[in-house]
Amino acid sequence: MRKTLTVFMVAALAATGIGRAATKADANTIHIALTAPITGDYAEYGTNFKRSVEMGIEEINAAGGVLGKKFVLSVGDSKGDPKESVNLAEKWISDPSVFAQIGDFTSTCCMASQPIYNRAGMIQLSPTASHTKFAAGSKWSFSIVGTQAMEQPFMAKLAVQHLKAKNIAILYINNDWGADTQKFFKENFEQMGGKIVAVESFFQGEKDFTAVLIKLRQAKPDALYIATMFNDCATISQQREKMGWNLPTLGPSSLYSPQLIALGGTSVNGLYSNVSFFTKDPDKRIQAYVTGFQKRYNDTPNFHAALAYDSIYLLADAIKRAGSLDREKVRETLAATKDFKGLTGSITFTPNRDAVKSYKYIQVVNGEFQLPKI
Amino acid sequence: MFLQQLINGLAQGSLFALIAISFSLVWGLLKMVNFALGEVYMLGAYAGWLVVTHVSPNLGLALAAGFAAGWAAGWLIEKVAFKALRGVPHIASLVCTIGFSFFLKEGATWAFGAETKGMPAFYSRTACTIAEANISWLQVIMVVIAVVMMAGLQLLFFRTKIGLAVRTVAMDYRTASLMGMKVDKVTSLAFSLSGALAGFVGVLAAVYYNAIFPSMGFVAGLKGFTAAVFGGITSIPGAILGGYLLGPIENLSVQFVSSGYRDFVSYSILIIFLLFRPNGILGKKTKL
Repeated sequence: MRKTLTVFMVAALAATGIGRAATKADANTIHIALTAPITGDYAEYGTNFKRSVEMGIEEINAAGGVLGKKFVLSVGDSKGDPKESVNLAEKWISDPSVFAQIGDFTSTCCMASQPIYNRAGMIQLSPTASHTKFAAGSKWSFSIVGTQAMEQPFMAKLAVQHLKAKNIAILYINNDWGADTQKFFKENFEQMGGKIVAVESFFQGEKDFTAVLIKLRQAKPDALYIATMFNDCATISQQREKMGWNLPTLGPSSLYSPQLIALGGTSVNGLYSNVSFFTKDPDKRIQAYVTGFQKRYNDTPNFHAALAYDSIYLLADAIKRAGSLDREKVRETLAATKDFKGLTGSITFTPNRDAVKSYKYIQVVNGEFQLPKI
Repeated sequence: MFLQQLINGLAQGSLFALIAISFSLVWGLLKMVNFALGEVYMLGAYAGWLVVTHVSPNLGLALAAGFAAGWAAGWLIEKVAFKALRGVPHIASLVCTIGFSFFLKEGATWAFGAETKGMPAFYSRTACTIAEANISWLQVIMVVIAVVMMAGLQLLFFRTKIGLAVRTVAMDYRTASLMGMKVDKVTSLAFSLSGALAGFVGVLAAVYYNAIFPSMGFVAGLKGFTAAVFGGITSIPGAILGGYLLGPIENLSVQFVSSGYRDFVSYSILIIFLLFRPNGILGKKTKL
């Protein structure tokens, strides 16, 4: 028994050893790690991360790579779980060939693994973490989505100036991101003279919103602000429509996805949100990305996918400008990025390593996202 | 508003009650919890969705598909997690059902993708309005279906030979098998029925909430388990009572406390009852 076990273990070790030699980096490659929720509740975002980064790396390598070296990618599945994200961070930093890490998807996961990247001195570039305390927390952490502190004043302005709303009710998902988002919307809207008449929250996984909608309705708001992911927003809107409660609705950029309309149907008509990436944008590079993505994966990319695509190009650009693979030097170059032309708008980092973004309003009109004239 | 919350709570309670029955069916027989029931519920929802989108948009057919898929899943779980592990400590089966729940969830992610799928609306028009409270046809249908199902189960257990067999095995499976009862068959049947119920509710919930996704079973399973413990997991009427109490309690706690405390209220009930009255409201006093 022991003998078989030994043989088996040696075989297993050998197998992993061979696997390593075949897939991992050598002197002519730059090894990038991607941490993303490939399975679990956020799997659709994680899958899009993987697709976009793989697509970007293939394009960059086909064009000759960076500094004469090709990118190789390792993907780790964090399952949207901060504990898994931390484990993966430990794995990446213990592999000396890994040069930088892209990910994770949620602010919570990014903030949990941040101390590890900070300690090891490895770049942690998150495409989507929009919590105001994330990038500010370590000099190795970067976020390119823009924080809620910058996005929400833009939405509050829409509510006040365009919707002429005086009383707004808020419904948000109770996690780091949702709490942060609604806080900044509330503060800004109140500063502009509006009044928040009701605030309610729910936890991930909830599908019955009738009770909370009835309660919000009693506060008689002029508009409803929904700080959730698009799939929850679709369910909320449908249950609102079924109740016969019609009022203007608005929410953060997380609502922008073709799935919002596919799931929400007529109930999301009229909903306002904002984007810094729009699939129907006539810009040539955006169209090339969208059609390339559709051809490869038979699926339309969304905002989060485009951010992941920008991440790998941004990293490649920083390495090119730094002219070496010295981690500290690349970090400094990345932090000094100015007007990098990404698909999700131009990227310039603040001293806190958050990207300053420009936003556009979008509205659902007759079952389609459109840029309203505001 | 109170009335509207109560009505919505009762509709939701129907879903809880049916899942609670699924739990109490297995518990009554083996004194074990099948933690994969939430995922069987999810599987039923996908089966219903497949029928509606690929075969014909018919609610009855979708419910039948959910029932059948749940039946098959329940049968398989019994064969692997319980029959194959008979004689080893209970904890092995318990862990095995947790394994099944992961397996089914990730399997569904692999097969259908992780994104939320929608279900076409059925009977969403308003049936009647009482004092500003709207009741939709779907809500009426849900409560009627739930009540009919429960009545059917009571008949099955107390008026048929199959029911007698299940009750006998539940009482003492060793003696029952010594008396020549086919314990394996009865256990298999109860498991399949429990799974079928869960799959059936999955379709109802998918239509009611118009959302199908691989992780939908987790909260549903936990709430169903809470309802079962609350009402009394050892008895089917207890499970029903638990479901119909938990639904309105949740909805009214949103109205009068805060929406953020909805799950807090439910799970507090679960913990308090597990600690101080594990037999639930109606359950018989047995050692757990």
